[in-house]
Amino acid sequence: MLMTILLVMLTAACSSNNNAPGNKTTSEPQNTASGGSEATPAAKPVEITWWNFPNFQALDGEVGKYEKEMIAAFNQKHPEIKVNLEMITFDGGPEKLNVAIASNSAPDVIYDAPGRIIDWGKKGLLAPLDDMIPQDVRSDIPDAFWKQSMVGDKTVMYPINTAPFMMAVNKTVFEKIGALDLLPLDRKDRVWSFDEYKAALQAVKEKALDVIPSVFFAKSQAGDQGTRAYIANLGLSSFLKDDLSAIAINTDQAGAALDWIAQAQKDKLVISGSAALAASDVNDLFLQGKVAFSINYSAVLKAQNSTLKKAEFEEALLPFPTLDGSAPKLEPYLGGMAIFNNGDDAKIAAAKTFIDFVANDEVYGKKNLIQTGGLSVRNSVTGLYDDEEYAYSELARQFITAPPTIADGYAEIRTYWFPALQSVLLGQQTGKEALDSFAKSADEAIAKAKAQLK
Amino acid sequence: MLLTALKSKRLLWREWLASYLFLLPALAFFLLFVAYPMLRGAYISLFDYSLNRFEFIGLRNYADLFRDKTFLKSMKNTILIVLITVPAVIAFSIFVSNTIYRKSELARSFFRGVFYLPAVSSVVSITVVWASIYDPNYGILNYVTSLFGAEPIAWLGDLRTALFAIIAVLVTTSVGQPIILYVAALGNIPTSYIEAAQIDRATPGQIFRKIIWPMLMPTNLYIIVITTINTFQTFAIVQLLTAGGPLNATSTVMYGVYEKAFMLGSFGVAAAMGMLLAVVIGIISLIQFKFLGSDVEY
Repeated sequence: MLMTILLVMLTAACSSNNNAPGNKTTSEPQNTASGGSEATPAAKPVEITWWNFPNFQALDGEVGKYEKEMIAAFNQKHPEIKVNLEMITFDGGPEKLNVAIASNSAPDVIYDAPGRIIDWGKKGLLAPLDDMIPQDVRSDIPDAFWKQSMVGDKTVMYPINTAPFMMAVNKTVFEKIGALDLLPLDRKDRVWSFDEYKAALQAVKEKALDVIPSVFFAKSQAGDQGTRAYIANLGLSSFLKDDLSAIAINTDQAGAALDWIAQAQKDKLVISGSAALAASDVNDLFLQGKVAFSINYSAVLKAQNSTLKKAEFEEALLPFPTLDGSAPKLEPYLGGMAIFNNGDDAKIAAAKTFIDFVANDEVYGKKNLIQTGGLSVRNSVTGLYDDEEYAYSELARQFITAPPTIADGYAEIRTYWFPALQSVLLGQQTGKEALDSFAKSADEAIAKAKAQLK
Repeated sequence: MLLTALKSKRLLWREWLASYLFLLPALAFFLLFVAYPMLRGAYISLFDYSLNRFEFIGLRNYADLFRDKTFLKSMKNTILIVLITVPAVIAFSIFVSNTIYRKSELARSFFRGVFYLPAVSSVVSITVVWASIYDPNYGILNYVTSLFGAEPIAWLGDLRTALFAIIAVLVTTSVGQPIILYVAALGNIPTSYIEAAQIDRATPGQIFRKIIWPMLMPTNLYIIVITTINTFQTFAIVQLLTAGGPLNATSTVMYGVYEKAFMLGSFGVAAAMGMLLAVVIGIISLIQFKFLGSDVEY
């Protein structure tokens, strides 16, 4: 009876009232692993649990196989630390983590992105990592990445891989219709304008009748960075104010961009029914060769999607077009590792040793980066791939701006974004009206979160 | 005399003990996995309970819910789904059962199997099939309607159709058990009653109203109550097909519970939503027993 309610209640029942991970007391971590150097092994056998999203490409089509190989290599150096791997999915993993945290069964280590990690850090659920980051490593990683890895003056995420979120184009479609010149691939920075983008969409609509020109999605939160950056660039706006204190995307130009998307849907330049499509739905269509542009892509996703392609085609990364053809503002994907403070110093020390291995081992450090398909966050680590698209991804790092994931109340802000998009796609509001309503709710969420943190 | 009385008492005690020992496994399971979580849920619904907070706030979660437009919309959607789905399931099940129960055993088994198939299939598999049927760009439903000159519709993305698209899936997945039960119940109605009515020149409508329907009342009560409870808990289909959208047009209370608890980590609010839903289901079930139970003929 009422299975979900029972699940909520069982979750609550399994936890004690105020015993969340962050509330457990722990002394200063004893082990101080250092970047790039051999970590001090824990004295006694320790068992840690690592929950991992599919951040690394599957080996032989088996999700988690690469991670197992990595753990085996780690155990050759640190036989005293047993790492229990549990693979979680991007769909259900976040919910599973919330339940685990609330029921005091959070994993020891997680490889994730700032969107969730910073939220946990602000809630005091994570162990600080500052003592495992020597100065040479700290200065080798740009400040923009540290901003996304720290809460106040404490580092709660060890940043490892990155890639700017961009668009992707099915280059083969444009080759077939003889319209490759409409894409900005001959420009080194590939920067292009909204008008050029519209011309490319129109060409697909007219000449490639079995291909949908472009996509949009607003069913749920996943992949929302794609829709955010798309509208912000088409409308020459920023999502948040520079000091992250309020929403800034509710400009006339961004509103007009959103109105254009709604109209383009009717004009068959954008996929129909986008209000009910999720990011994964439209990416599936892209991988099936059924749409020309995806608005949610990156070098990391390119690598993750390589085994999921259902059609033979060549894709190319592109920056989001801007209203006036100026330089785009791209949100970065950033991946890194964090440690839940489960109140056990030995586990925290062992987890740091493991993170140090994943990020800095002389063999597995680079191997791991390549397996994620991402670039290194370290300025000194470049040229990992012999591939044109990765070279461009590295170049496009210059367009990266501060992402909204570090804003206070980000988890709640996200919940207001896609209903705002839906209301425009369904003709309930104009773009400006929807963005204003979104800004009002999101600003309240930011203020509430700031008040709670005080 | 005294010895006999003592023996009799000891026997009674043993019987009492044995009966409770037999009950114990089920009772323990009930207390641990039903009663305790329910009580605990009622308790935490009085707290501001998130990933790192546990603070007593009295009835504020409940008060907030009554001001929460999304929750009110979800409750309205849920009630609308129940109001449409339950009568549709009953009517369709009786129609199908009435059509097939006089057929040969082979035909009856075939149709029962066909209609029961969704009940034993995974909701996820069924929903994936429906998602492809409803797909606005490549779905078979739009293909069929286009043969009649209709424009493609985003069935799950249009405010006018999304909720009804969900209800259609819900109805098709809910009729299996009622059909099995109605076929069995119809088979138990003595044919002599119907034959006597036919001799008296009763019309098929009169036979249904005056004989079949009253004889089905015990089955009706069970099916109405169970279908109502199940429909109030609509969750998986909504989560997989629409995630409550567009614009909360298909959001249900159970989906809201999931969203608040597992996506936002607001366990106190989710528990309050669950308690309110339990109260609504309890009241409606009581009403159903009160008004339908009195007509039951055993």
